Amino acid sequence: MYWKYVLRRLASVLFTYVIIIFIYSALFNTVMETTIRAQIDEQVKQEMLLQTQIMSPAGLKQYQEERLALYYKRYHLDEPILPRIFWRALSTLKFDFGNSTIIRSAAGERKVLTIVAEKIPRTVLLFTLATAIDILIGVLLGMKKAQKPGKFLDQSTSIITMIVYGMPTWWVAMILIMLFVYKIGIFPSGGLHSIPPPTGLAYVLDPLYHLALPLLTLVVIGFWGRAYLTRNIVLSTLQEDYIMAARARGLAERKVLYGHTLRSAAPPIATMSILSLLSSVSGGLIFEGIFSWPGMGNLYWVAIQQNDIPVLMGNLALTTLFYLSGLVLLDLIYGMLDPRIKVGGKA
Amino acid sequence: MEKLEIKNVKLHYYTSKGIIRALDGLSFDLRAGESLGVVGESGCGKTTLGTALLNMPTPPGRIVGGEILINGLDLLKLSENELRKQIRWEKMAMVFQGAMNCLTPVYTIQKQMMETILSHRKMSKEEAEARIRKYLNLVGLSADVLRRYPHELSGGMKQRIVIATALFLEPQVVICDEPTTALDVVVQAQIINLLKQLKQKLKLSFIFITHDLATEAEVADRIMVMYAGKAVEIGTNQQIYGPQGAAHPYTKLLMAATPRLHQKVDQLAFIPGTPPDLLTPPTGCRFHLRCPQVMTRCRQEEPSLIEIEPAHTVACWRCYHE
Amino acid sequence: MRFKEVKDTFFEFWSEFRKVKYGMVGLVMFVLFLLIVIFESVLIPFPETGRRWRDITYWEDNPKNAAPVWVNWFTRKRSAPHLVLDAAEFNEKKAANTQMVEAVFKYDYAYDLPPLDLLLRAKGKGLINLVVQLERPDGLRIELVKKAIRLNSEAPIRLSLDKEAASASSNFLQTYEDPAALRSISMFTVQPVETFFACAEQGLVRNPIPLKGEYRLKLTSVAVGGGAALTDPSLTVAGRVFGVMGTDASKRDLWSGVIAGTKWALLIGLLTSAVSVLIGVFYGVTSAYFGGAVDLVMMRIYEVFQSIPLLPVMIVVSAIFKPSIWTMILMMCSFFWVSSVRTVRSMGLQIKEETYVEAAQALGATRRRIIFKHMLPQLIPYAFASMALQVPVSIVYEASVSLLGLGDATIVTWGQILHDAMQGGAVLQGLWWWIVPPGLFIALMGMTFAFVGFAMDTILNPKLRTR
Repeated sequence: MYWKYVLRRLASVLFTYVIIIFIYSALFNTVMETTIRAQIDEQVKQEMLLQTQIMSPAGLKQYQEERLALYYKRYHLDEPILPRIFWRALSTLKFDFGNSTIIRSAAGERKVLTIVAEKIPRTVLLFTLATAIDILIGVLLGMKKAQKPGKFLDQSTSIITMIVYGMPTWWVAMILIMLFVYKIGIFPSGGLHSIPPPTGLAYVLDPLYHLALPLLTLVVIGFWGRAYLTRNIVLSTLQEDYIMAARARGLAERKVLYGHTLRSAAPPIATMSILSLLSSVSGGLIFEGIFSWPGMGNLYWVAIQQNDIPVLMGNLALTTLFYLSGLVLLDLIYGMLDPRIKVGGKA
Repeated sequence: MEKLEIKNVKLHYYTSKGIIRALDGLSFDLRAGESLGVVGESGCGKTTLGTALLNMPTPPGRIVGGEILINGLDLLKLSENELRKQIRWEKMAMVFQGAMNCLTPVYTIQKQMMETILSHRKMSKEEAEARIRKYLNLVGLSADVLRRYPHELSGGMKQRIVIATALFLEPQVVICDEPTTALDVVVQAQIINLLKQLKQKLKLSFIFITHDLATEAEVADRIMVMYAGKAVEIGTNQQIYGPQGAAHPYTKLLMAATPRLHQKVDQLAFIPGTPPDLLTPPTGCRFHLRCPQVMTRCRQEEPSLIEIEPAHTVACWRCYHE
Repeated sequence: MRFKEVKDTFFEFWSEFRKVKYGMVGLVMFVLFLLIVIFESVLIPFPETGRRWRDITYWEDNPKNAAPVWVNWFTRKRSAPHLVLDAAEFNEKKAANTQMVEAVFKYDYAYDLPPLDLLLRAKGKGLINLVVQLERPDGLRIELVKKAIRLNSEAPIRLSLDKEAASASSNFLQTYEDPAALRSISMFTVQPVETFFACAEQGLVRNPIPLKGEYRLKLTSVAVGGGAALTDPSLTVAGRVFGVMGTDASKRDLWSGVIAGTKWALLIGLLTSAVSVLIGVFYGVTSAYFGGAVDLVMMRIYEVFQSIPLLPVMIVVSAIFKPSIWTMILMMCSFFWVSSVRTVRSMGLQIKEETYVEAAQALGATRRRIIFKHMLPQLIPYAFASMALQVPVSIVYEASVSLLGLGDATIVTWGQILHDAMQGGAVLQGLWWWIVPPGLFIALMGMTFAFVGFAMDTILNPKLRTR
């Protein structure tokens, strides 16, 4: 039962992704093509350089035209607009993002896929850690709030949630950096490694040191919303008949709260958590830039500053893929947590 | 158990609109091995009674007075911990209304039943499982249901599970709160029969709460009629349903309002007026505004339960005079 | 929906709302923001901020990177604030084709840290010879500038003494400072105007002791030629501290900038949320009501929109197409409607199953009537709460895009101020007055709508009441 559900979701998501890539390709077609043409021109010029010794000027010109025609054909630039969009979309789906204009990967490569791919683990590291801690603190706090609703802890933390609601995480980051990095130099200003990188055990711990401030910022802003949502969901679950029934059966309060209540509230809490995590992807973009954290978000900054369109596009395609995977993950987790989906039956 | 005595219990709900006096001085007893039926209209306090007996008033309710003595031990004076360990499910268990929603949807039946047994008794898993199967059998279910989730089961099956769960610790008193209301008639009959069998076999004491007079007639040895948070008449099955009929005007009207299969009915009888507002209950006898036999005294003084024949008490000035 | 019904529901809601304290706080804050927008031109000293934010001439008299004036209350060493002075004495003599002016400016210096510059402004025409002389409280008279300017038609004159008096200051230093100390520093690092405010003794280059008292700046000019004249002289003391919120690296008054940005924030926030929630509600209701194939198709479209991460797309689009604020609002509206649809649709589906809807249909009510009379009214409170909570999101989105430098360059928004702050190294240099206020205002506006939105949410969701 569950597996059917999983397969259906995956199929749906794949379908959606294909549509989105087509939309992207259509939207950015002109720009991409300008870049590709420029790259082709450059490439052909290089090839011509190798041939100048051998050929006459007339022969060179013909050579240039031949080569250009070859490349145009290869990249389908000689076809009308719809097929062009189609081919572009297809190559994007195959993860063939072409070469960058300027940016190079750590190994000096210009393949966009490599450039973007090496940033992925860093973004994942930062944001999964932050989310995990967020959820942990948020859910526990939320449960505490739900147990004594309307009392001091609940009210005060709710007010803080509202205060923090409209605060851009990157602005808080700026202030914290100004304070802790420049005024009181506790933390490093950014990046993943110190320059020069330390050796031995310190080399392993060094990224953690760099991770500290961004992680702290994310968590300090993030868990309030989680707590508020958990509190609401748990509060509404606590009013259900089966909770009263569990108490009537003489079960220990601990079991009732953390077992029956939390477990029943888990599906909507998971949904809310993952959804807000996904929406924080946007904030995360800017956030990485502020900390020069070398992840996908920071790559956007760099690509914009250097006007490197292929990298932007490739990054966008992969970001969307991750975003979608997040949505699928959400559905799968929800399905696992809620037996009504996991073991479908007569409701 | 020997005796369950409820003495002058008051349960009030403290809402933002005022204090709702849901139970306002309720008194009755339950003897070993008997089943007491509690009847009344919606809003008379029947369900509140169920939660009060386990000392679990639904917030914002609070028990503000009276005693609930089980073999002389006052429940209302026990701490939450003591209640959990000694009373709930040990001495008293509850079969809930609308078995729809009293089983946690995310746990299997097995987990829920095991959890309940093992919370109360030190047993090995095998012993616990054996006990569970025994009681499932008793209610007519196979052990298959154990690995199912509540949403996979029908209403009747869930009700049986709830009954089995209530019984398997062999409590002394079982409170059934509208156990058949949400079920169709056929299943209803099955459940009623089941309860009658169990009562015989296990020699349990029941408190059977319902608004359905017909079911009550089947199962109850004694009946208590409630109105507006108070008991207005308590008598044996025979006394209330028998040929002489009930004494209290309210009970009489209730009976009249139930259509009989073999009677020709031109017009449905009903009780005029609406149930009283428990925020500001009427003075004197709470029924006086709707009573066809009201006297001056009824408006001024509240009657208490007075015995008019052995084992038959009524709270009515009219009955007292007669 | 009859008017009376609407009025009643509104008043009922209002009496509930009043009880929630933080909701009222939010409402008050909202009114304050509205007042700021309405009275913008009165509140700020530079009324044309909106249009001339990137025009350096508008700001040229201000100091660069100056902290706000009120930091003087918290520091031991008080800095000279910004000041514009008119001539205390003004004597004009005219003869044929010649005009002579003698203007004296009195400046009371009572601070520890001197101004950054002294700017003389005037209007002039003709061949003008002018001399500027400074008379210090210790009696010293220093000739700062001696200069001739030729203007064929009337034009503004602007003299920055920081530049013009460089040689005068180096002479001053050489006269009074220990030659050894002078040799150890480069003349480029010396601020001419600063030296004039220091006591004339040794050590004035490294540790100047402020010479407090009344300074008189005398401007003498002779203008020769047909219609030649020098008029309207004024002295601007470019303070070390400026205004309510200081200045940035482009000398712009940040208080004006932040206030001017308020209207855009409100506009972006309110417009985007109103439009997107409206679209979302209609979309959800239609999908729920019509069901079947319509629902299926609409939900598919919804899924596609939901799966696109908006900010990256907005960033890429902005980088490539460089849109205006209106295109950004359009983009946000095209995606934000998604968030309301899910809840509205499930609410709509629930309402559809209610018996009164069935009854209405049986009575022959048109679809339009059912949607408008039965379904929508119940969704309105939720829609408003949704709108309120969406406002901060839109504001932060625009701020994020602007922060990257991709915002609309024709207007001032808080995000853009922060972008300039990043570029101008505000974080590195600790120029907190550049970073804190714009972000703080974003946060405050977010708070406003969060308070209101959460309050509405609590009222509308009875299960969450805790009374």
